[in-house]
Amino acid sequence: MLLRMRGVSKSFGQHRALDRVDLDLARGEVVVVLGPSGSGKSTLCRCINRLETVDAGSIELDGEPLPQEGKDLARLRSQVGMVFQSFNLFAHMSALDNVTLGPIKVRRLGREQAQRRAMDLLERVGVADQARKYPAQLSGGQQQRVAIARALAMDPKLMLFDEPTSALDPEMINEVLAVMVELAASGMTMLVVTHEMGFARKAAHRVVFMDAGRVVEEATPQAFFTAARTERAQDFLAKILTH
Amino acid sequence: MSREPDVLFDVLGPRGRQRTRIATVVVVLVLAALLWLALRQFAVNGQLDGAKWQPFTSPPILRFLLVGLGGTLQATVVSALLAFPLGAALALLRLARSAPLRWPAAAYVELFRALPVLLLIYVFLLVLPQLGVRLPLFWQLVIPIVMSGSASAAEIFRAGVLSLERGQSEAGYSLGLSYWQTMRLIVLPQVLRQLLPVLVSQLITLLKETTLGYVVSFPELLHNGQTLGEYTQTLIQAYLVVALVFVLTNAGLSQLAVGIDRRLGTRGRRAPGSAGSASGQQRPGLQVRLDA
Ligand SMILES: Nc1ncnc2c1ncn2[C@@H]1O[C@H](COP(=O)(O)OP(=O)(O)OP(=O)(O)O)[C@@H](O)[C@H]1O
Ligand SMILES: [Mg+2]
Repeated sequence: MLLRMRGVSKSFGQHRALDRVDLDLARGEVVVVLGPSGSGKSTLCRCINRLETVDAGSIELDGEPLPQEGKDLARLRSQVGMVFQSFNLFAHMSALDNVTLGPIKVRRLGREQAQRRAMDLLERVGVADQARKYPAQLSGGQQQRVAIARALAMDPKLMLFDEPTSALDPEMINEVLAVMVELAASGMTMLVVTHEMGFARKAAHRVVFMDAGRVVEEATPQAFFTAARTERAQDFLAKILTH
Repeated sequence: MSREPDVLFDVLGPRGRQRTRIATVVVVLVLAALLWLALRQFAVNGQLDGAKWQPFTSPPILRFLLVGLGGTLQATVVSALLAFPLGAALALLRLARSAPLRWPAAAYVELFRALPVLLLIYVFLLVLPQLGVRLPLFWQLVIPIVMSGSASAAEIFRAGVLSLERGQSEAGYSLGLSYWQTMRLIVLPQVLRQLLPVLVSQLITLLKETTLGYVVSFPELLHNGQTLGEYTQTLIQAYLVVALVFVLTNAGLSQLAVGIDRRLGTRGRRAPGSAGSASGQQRPGLQVRLDA
């Protein structure tokens, strides 16, 4: 198992955002996480690269428990790529500099080598011609693709996507999903929070449904979308399908 | 490059424009009257006589004033070069996770923000010599200014860091950058850009605080102006000249800031503050292209 979560709980004050979550990801597996708002999907992602600390349970990446602090924690984070709902590109840097920052400062790569690789990645996500532009000069879809290139530049073992397309205008959603589908096909291990069923059907090996901080149901996309077992999942699907 | 529209005021309609014109005329008339009264008062008392202004055309006296200006600028620049980086470091310490870093920084900031610079100067002038520590005049002035200025700057930087969207630092951490790398490479550059106008007014405050140099007899502009005025018996004229030099210097500093801001203007805008975007409701696709 590349990622192994056991009994992970996390509370904010009185509120339990994660409640004894067990989750495994095999190498190369693509898992889509679904669930109503507030069910703990973002918290799940954030706990995996320790942007949130957990209260109980264990998380292991590649057989190693998550380090708590310092250099080891930074090293762990550099192996886990994260793509945010609001892109979070560094606003004062060009697209190219966004992508080369990690390799240069964390991996100590030479600037020239980092730039060559960054250009390849920007090419791969289809925004190489925008490399010199600043984030404010790019469309949302372009920004998110640069953000994906930035995460890929660290050669992550695992990529986390937290609703990568939900801040995008409809016409830009597909360009980002296409990049993610290609990434999934290339064998990347991915944990994707998204309500895009098209992506789940096309690229996911497994769907995980969360509610109130718990993993309520796990199934293949096919099984889940056609015949969800739990009532909550059926309610949820009915709601997103009517949209 | 188009600018964001001025959101403070609506564009005026015809009646509004009319009212603005009338107000402008009234204000100009009032100011002119005040100026005339002041000049008349000066003239009546003989303060406008050529003889009273004569000294300020002689090279040795000008040189003496220039030495004063030099002292002021030197003390200001050294104070700023020490106070601003120290302030930034204090702000980051105060925001750090570990309590042993946070506490001393918070204590320092709260203490020196509360104490008047004059009091600190007295400590260096009167108290420390009794303990056998006597610093050069320059440092008796600059160290107190730096102590208080770094505390103020720390609070400015801290507010700036907190106002930057949290996603910026989180994106840094998730690349594997350390806290200090994230602050240095991602947070501070954006915060500095945003704080530029505030830092300039902070710089002007430092400059004005160097006039406390008279307490330790450090030869700065005001001190030299005063000495000169007393010596040539033209105190009023000396103060007016000094005031004019201060105004021009500060205008120069503000202009410098505008220049820097404009040069950075074509570069990326900072990330939006945390208030609007934490919910993910923002539509970056719509707010972009102002610079394109
Ligand atoms: N920093 C925080 N402080 C306090 N409460 C939090 C914090 N982050 C999340 N929560 C709470 O934890 C619960 C789970 O939040 P989370 O963001 O993980 O949900 P989500 O499934 O991602 O929802 P959405 O679909 O709206 O993004 C919510 O009730 C939320 O209010
Ligand atoms: Mg969420």
